[in-house]
Amino acid sequence: MSMKNVLAVALGIMSAIGGFVDIGDLVFNTQAGATFGFQLLWVVVVGVVGIIVYSEMCGRVSAVSGRPVFDLVRERAGFGSALATLIASEIVNLMTCAAEVGGVAICFQLLSGLPYRLLIPLAVLLLVVTSWVLPFRWLERLFGYLGLGLLVFAVAAIKLNPDWHQVAHGFVPGSHSGGSLMVYLYFVVGLLGAAMTPYEVYFYSSGAVEDRWGIKDLRLNNVTSIIGYALGGFLSFALMIVAAVLFLPRGIDPAFLGTPALAAQHTLGQVGLLLALVGILFAVGGAAVETSFAGAYNLAQFFGWRWGKKERPADAPRFTLAWLAIFALALLVVMTGYDPIKLTEYSVIFSVVALPLTYLPILLVANDRTYMGEHANGKLANVLGCFYFAVIVAISIAAIPLLLLTNGGQG
Amino acid sequence: MSKGTEVDIALGILDHQLVDADGRNCGKVDDLEIAGLASGSPEVVEIVVGGNAWKTRGRLGRLAAKLSGNAVHVPWTEVDSVSSVVQLKRPAAELRLNRGDERWAGLIRRLPGS
Repeated sequence: MSMKNVLAVALGIMSAIGGFVDIGDLVFNTQAGATFGFQLLWVVVVGVVGIIVYSEMCGRVSAVSGRPVFDLVRERAGFGSALATLIASEIVNLMTCAAEVGGVAICFQLLSGLPYRLLIPLAVLLLVVTSWVLPFRWLERLFGYLGLGLLVFAVAAIKLNPDWHQVAHGFVPGSHSGGSLMVYLYFVVGLLGAAMTPYEVYFYSSGAVEDRWGIKDLRLNNVTSIIGYALGGFLSFALMIVAAVLFLPRGIDPAFLGTPALAAQHTLGQVGLLLALVGILFAVGGAAVETSFAGAYNLAQFFGWRWGKKERPADAPRFTLAWLAIFALALLVVMTGYDPIKLTEYSVIFSVVALPLTYLPILLVANDRTYMGEHANGKLANVLGCFYFAVIVAISIAAIPLLLLTNGGQG
Repeated sequence: MSKGTEVDIALGILDHQLVDADGRNCGKVDDLEIAGLASGSPEVVEIVVGGNAWKTRGRLGRLAAKLSGNAVHVPWTEVDSVSSVVQLKRPAAELRLNRGDERWAGLIRRLPGS
């Protein structure tokens, strides 16, 4: 690899790490740590490997065939099922986008002290202007790089010097203590859902088309996504460990988005607090942009419209209107004053229900040699793909009953 | 495409992306008009795009069709090739497949930097 390629890989990995965590990961990882200590760390590993397996697959399909995920959903599931999937995914995208927008406003509030309600429209305006002005690649980089502020949690986790023996135990699935079995299972579903949210694969595969991936990019981009997501998973570990050490013994319920930032302050002082807030701001801001675009990508790909940031807005008018409309609707949802943390929990749990319909077409097409030729799934991709599909079906059935039985993890 | 080319309609054409001569997306293959079913040698004569083309596509499709306008019919002779997309021989505007974008483009053009 040339020096230029090494740099490109490094930059890609950095933006994947920064872009991995969103409000769903922040909420579920800290709450899981505050409730069950290190005991759920193994779930993060399962979730991260899952998103790597399916991102790799849909990235490969996009690079080889030029077709993004929702094209495949429509082709394989047919009009009716695809339309049902579209409606479900749009509801989840909107809920998630609203939660992330709320998260951005909370960060602004913590940084400025101004009233939350006033900062919501400002947050949406800034996100819309940024998305309008910046080309696709720079959007990825801006939010990805500044999201790296979250690395402060990795430093905090190490500095807190947890009982590493116990931490290691958390990576082995097994019996649990503290809290009921139902709540434990609710967090298993929530953590998997937060790691494998469908909007990530929608955005990832459409992004591959936006970046004009071809077969020559396959290896380079695989390395980027696999390492980037794997390292991003470490941020999830860090959040859970920090919450386990600081919140669990004190009985603190991290009911606010700012709570994890206070953990960084406790460990690393004012600099820690500032880095944590900047990291959270750009992580949730980036995810707000990703969800609004994912919604527009899906709509355009279902109906066959022109789409993408690669087009001038007036050349893809319906796509452009779609992402603007999703931001506008998200603004309305957040302005009702509904708690963004609650909204996050619901959006993650509902997204789990929509997962099978998103992932099955990817698995089918990645195996179709008329599409993929020699780049069709190998044995490893299929074993992992089928295993994760079974996991997804199981958690999609369990998600809503667990949400109701545990009253949203309250026990 | 020439007569007599065999394609798997369900998997190979239906619900696929339509791309015009300039490489632009211009709708999906929402339905197909097939002739000669009675005579035993069926062939695709038209691609039906958008609007009430959805009325044959299940319960949700019927509802969607009611909410939208007339479908556009594209003769099969306008098809250049079939791969992961259905490639057309002419630009979308000449086949009346640009209606949707035309309707909204004016609005977007008013915004700065569009």
